[in-house]
Amino acid sequence: MRFVIRRLLLFVVALFGISVVVFAALRILPGDVASIMAGINAPASRVAQLREQLGLNRPLVAQYFDWMGALVTGDFGTSILTGRSVTALIGARASITFPLIIVGLLIAMLIGLPLGCAAVLARSPRVRMAFHVLAIIGGSVPALWGGLLLILLFGKGVGLVGILPSQGFPLDGWGEPVGAMLSLILPAFTVGIIVGASLMRYTRAALGDLANSGYIDMARSCGMTRTQAVLRVGLRLAMPQLVSVIGLTFASMVTGVMVIENLFALPGIGNGLVTDVGNRDLIAVQSELFLLAAFFLTIGLIVDVLHRLLDPRLKNASGVSEVSA
Amino acid sequence: MSNNTQITVSHNDGGRLRYGFAGRAAIVLKTMWRRGEGKFTLIVLALWLVVALISLIWTPQSLWATDGYHVWAKPSASHWLGTDGTGADVFSWLMAGSRTNLLIVVLTVAFSALWGLLLVSAMVARASALASASVVVIDALISIPTVLLALILAVPLGASITVIVIACGFGYGLNLARVARPSALLAARSSYVESALANGASGWRILVSHIIPNIVPVLAVQLSLSAGTAVLAESGLTYLGIGVPSGMPSWGHSLATSVKLINVFPLTVLWPGLVVTVVVVALNIFGDVLRDAIDPVTNPALRQTAASAEKEDER
Amino acid sequence: MSQDNGAHAESGATGATTDASLASRAKNPKKNGPKWWLISLIAVIVAVAVVIGVTLAYAKKDNGTASGNGAAQANTVTIGLKLAPTNLDIRNTAGSALDQILIGNVYEGIVARDSKNQVTPAIASSWEESKDGLTYTFHLNKNMVFSNGDTLDAEDVAWSINELIAKQYHDADALEAVSKVEAKDADTVVITLKTPNSNLLWTLTGRAGLVFDKDAKYDLKTQAVGSGPYTVAKFVENDSITLKANEKYWGKNKAKTPTIVVKYLADDNAAVNALKSGDVQVLAPITENLAEPFTSDPSKYVVKAGDGTDKYVLGFNNASGSKLADKRIRQAIRYAINHDELIASRGGADKALGGPIPSLDPGYEDLTDLYPYDQDKAKSLMAAVGYSEDKPLELTLTYANIYGTELGDQLRSQLKPIGIDLKVNVVEFSTWLQDVYTNHDFDISLVDHNESHDFYTWTDPTYYFGYDNKDVQKLYAEGIAATTDKERDAKFAEAAKLISEDAPADWLFNYRITTATAKGVEGFPFDLNQTVLPLYNVTYSLAEFSQK
Repeated sequence: MRFVIRRLLLFVVALFGISVVVFAALRILPGDVASIMAGINAPASRVAQLREQLGLNRPLVAQYFDWMGALVTGDFGTSILTGRSVTALIGARASITFPLIIVGLLIAMLIGLPLGCAAVLARSPRVRMAFHVLAIIGGSVPALWGGLLLILLFGKGVGLVGILPSQGFPLDGWGEPVGAMLSLILPAFTVGIIVGASLMRYTRAALGDLANSGYIDMARSCGMTRTQAVLRVGLRLAMPQLVSVIGLTFASMVTGVMVIENLFALPGIGNGLVTDVGNRDLIAVQSELFLLAAFFLTIGLIVDVLHRLLDPRLKNASGVSEVSA
Repeated sequence: MSNNTQITVSHNDGGRLRYGFAGRAAIVLKTMWRRGEGKFTLIVLALWLVVALISLIWTPQSLWATDGYHVWAKPSASHWLGTDGTGADVFSWLMAGSRTNLLIVVLTVAFSALWGLLLVSAMVARASALASASVVVIDALISIPTVLLALILAVPLGASITVIVIACGFGYGLNLARVARPSALLAARSSYVESALANGASGWRILVSHIIPNIVPVLAVQLSLSAGTAVLAESGLTYLGIGVPSGMPSWGHSLATSVKLINVFPLTVLWPGLVVTVVVVALNIFGDVLRDAIDPVTNPALRQTAASAEKEDER
Repeated sequence: MSQDNGAHAESGATGATTDASLASRAKNPKKNGPKWWLISLIAVIVAVAVVIGVTLAYAKKDNGTASGNGAAQANTVTIGLKLAPTNLDIRNTAGSALDQILIGNVYEGIVARDSKNQVTPAIASSWEESKDGLTYTFHLNKNMVFSNGDTLDAEDVAWSINELIAKQYHDADALEAVSKVEAKDADTVVITLKTPNSNLLWTLTGRAGLVFDKDAKYDLKTQAVGSGPYTVAKFVENDSITLKANEKYWGKNKAKTPTIVVKYLADDNAAVNALKSGDVQVLAPITENLAEPFTSDPSKYVVKAGDGTDKYVLGFNNASGSKLADKRIRQAIRYAINHDELIASRGGADKALGGPIPSLDPGYEDLTDLYPYDQDKAKSLMAAVGYSEDKPLELTLTYANIYGTELGDQLRSQLKPIGIDLKVNVVEFSTWLQDVYTNHDFDISLVDHNESHDFYTWTDPTYYFGYDNKDVQKLYAEGIAATTDKERDAKFAEAAKLISEDAPADWLFNYRITTATAKGVEGFPFDLNQTVLPLYNVTYSLAEFSQK
């Protein structure tokens, strides 16, 4: 319990720190949204006027507290350029990114977990080696390249077997559910294969350590076969570690899939963030970054707590006592 | 696992590791070479080094030999992989890219090693407040993804190698610290360190001569993993326009160029990706093989030299 | 098909369980291992196959409904454009993306321009200009309404222009000469000038002359209420706009296609794929180098380059104290650049441009002979200043990443032999605005100045070029004050030649937009379509569609 409280406290402090850092860092950027709006043939007076109109001339401290004040009440502000609420902007982008990473992660788990188990259970060293090589190669493919290969294989227009939409998202978005789903297949498989390979490696490592440990021997002496022992006891013991890995992977995928979003021309969270930074739409950017940071920290927090709850060996140990041990 | 570390604690301390470094390196390399995957990784990495060096003085075509009349050309005798949108030779750029990637990998590994060791020493510090605080902080920071960090860094710094090195090194350092902590903690609480402290050794001296030697196997694996990941990250970040700046050759640059080509000459896409994949595979295996070769527990050849060294010490 | 796969999956799964239970019963671990990995491998493959199978089955269905709707699909034409607007606020937000999609389609101006950049009637059906050039009288059409049902009369016109001036909206500076705008009666608007301005009518075809509903209240950033043939049905910033025919439209440019969807495709390859796969019927622009699959298939596609006013300006910093203050260096650069090669590398559609005025603007003259490609001349000019390939002058080229890295790389290699070491600094557009445009902190800059009639930038010494030539300024003022087009054109041409001789910049080329359409698309303009894109005439004929 002390651990959870400590962790929560740290969470709040970190969020506050991040808000300050993000706010300050963004003000150092060259250029501002007023000059973007005014364009390249506008006189300086026009830029100055827009700046005044948009409130960019107000003292920074006041701007910060306005933003923070609204944040506390759950209002993430309105994008200066698009005039839409940041919540709506992020919502629209998340409706592409999250399905993508969830499907991608499912594919990864479908690939990684069974293959990881199989790699441990395999008796023949050759088969083990084959799994090992498979995992290493899968994890060594640059996402960009993997995606390109899939496009060249299956993409409509360029692919050898052009059956799937290669780039872009349907106009109506999820209003066209089949089209939307279809356009996520190639990117999700790209993510899935790459993440799956690393998941496979983790599973193999975690189970492999356990397979040589006393727990499994004990289970076997209770009459289980090696396979049963590894799958029933080993997997359960490895679960906390795997949950951590999957959780952290999930979090990092939100921005980690940016390259893939870019390649497949999907207007997701990462792409949106880059656009907003490019336009110097600072209110949108600072809220987006803040939310992202909060998301990562939250997942980190949940993963840590879950890890402790799931792992029978850690039930009574708090983080502190572990350190001083 | 814990058994292993205890054995290594008794065998590895700094004085002996320095002893006959060249000789040890030769033994380690030989051991690595004896394994199939060791051969593969050593050949690939050596080739990388050689190509990078050659590219400094020679490439089939000059990088800046643009030719507006022959852009997006298909592979031919003079342009083995065709030309890009400026008419420059794709193969030469790919070749020259190896030196930039080498530089990035070296810098990233160095940065993450230093940063990771700094964190490790904080985590095993005697001051328990510092130790426990650093554990919690690392747990929190580790969830911040590399791409996001790179995006933020690229804003003031622009596209540059610095962005890649800091963004990757930061995350890898955290990871390294986390993974290395158990063995570092064991070493730090060992009786060797107790006695060294009793003899008035400084914290720095203990770090160098007792803790680092004991986490070398972990370091080898983690650093070679981060080397591989740095190559991958470079390609992604450069594609996003926040990695290697324009005009500087790199594999990410070649890959990003080939993306533009997919509608004209799709097969060009194969090569830069293949190079990256092979090199990353080699780097990933390198760590495992190196760990096995460097560890006296798994490498009997090293044990012999250690034993003979001890004998010499006794004399 | 999906059912087949499902069945396989099920049998696979049951097979797996029986195998597993059998295996676990047989207490021979040696046989256990390999089966387990085999089973998991099969499970993975089956799972993947199911996913693909199901989606493919759906894909087929999807295609079916799409072609089933095909008979009605000509009601919708989807157009792929490149530069997306971030909002719809045409009064405040710069960028030709807004002009392109809104002017003439959703909003209408008091006058309009055609694809040859000439002034044509719009809200005003006719107009007169007084002899002294100080009074313009516009006679408006009758029975005009906005898309919300409000009537449009002289009050709205006068209010819109007065508001623009009072609130200093975008382009207000183009109306500096205007002293007042009045609605004389419901059908007549009179604009009075302080000084004659031969550009006035053209200016009013753009944002300065747009007519808004003075009684309507709406969010300018996300909505648009105009009097044009289309209304904005849906707008997704940076992504797409859906236009629906305006049912209340008053004029003769009635929309021929009920729904036009504009999809913004920033990625060139994605754009090409969209046209190939039929997601869009028009692509403007298409990268010339990627147009090959379409040009080689004339039975299905039409590919054509159109004229435009995009000037790729390699601007030098002319301010005193700049490294380029020495005219010989600027001239050397102009001689050293091989424009033909640059154009060839981009696919050959663009046109060489020797001066600041493109062919669609008043005062155009072919000035490409002033600085022909001549490396020897360039070298000797550089040598006279004291630079050579061994002892090069270091210059930095700063430009925005939206133009790609190719041009910078090419210029670097073209300038190398004459003794210039060009550092290429590709930055974000906003950084360019700050460093180059606002702070004039640069040696050489590269921008696509796409606006028409922007010759005045050469007469303003405070503009980022820092070009200050009194003769040019005088000629320009005379041209503006001219009361006949002929006189104006002559003055502008003379000034343009002076400028080009001075070499304050190099004009790399006049970018011509290449447009590709599916066969059967009619009425899509090819010229000037990045700023003026009337869509009312666009149709996609079904006959061609079904033949395909």
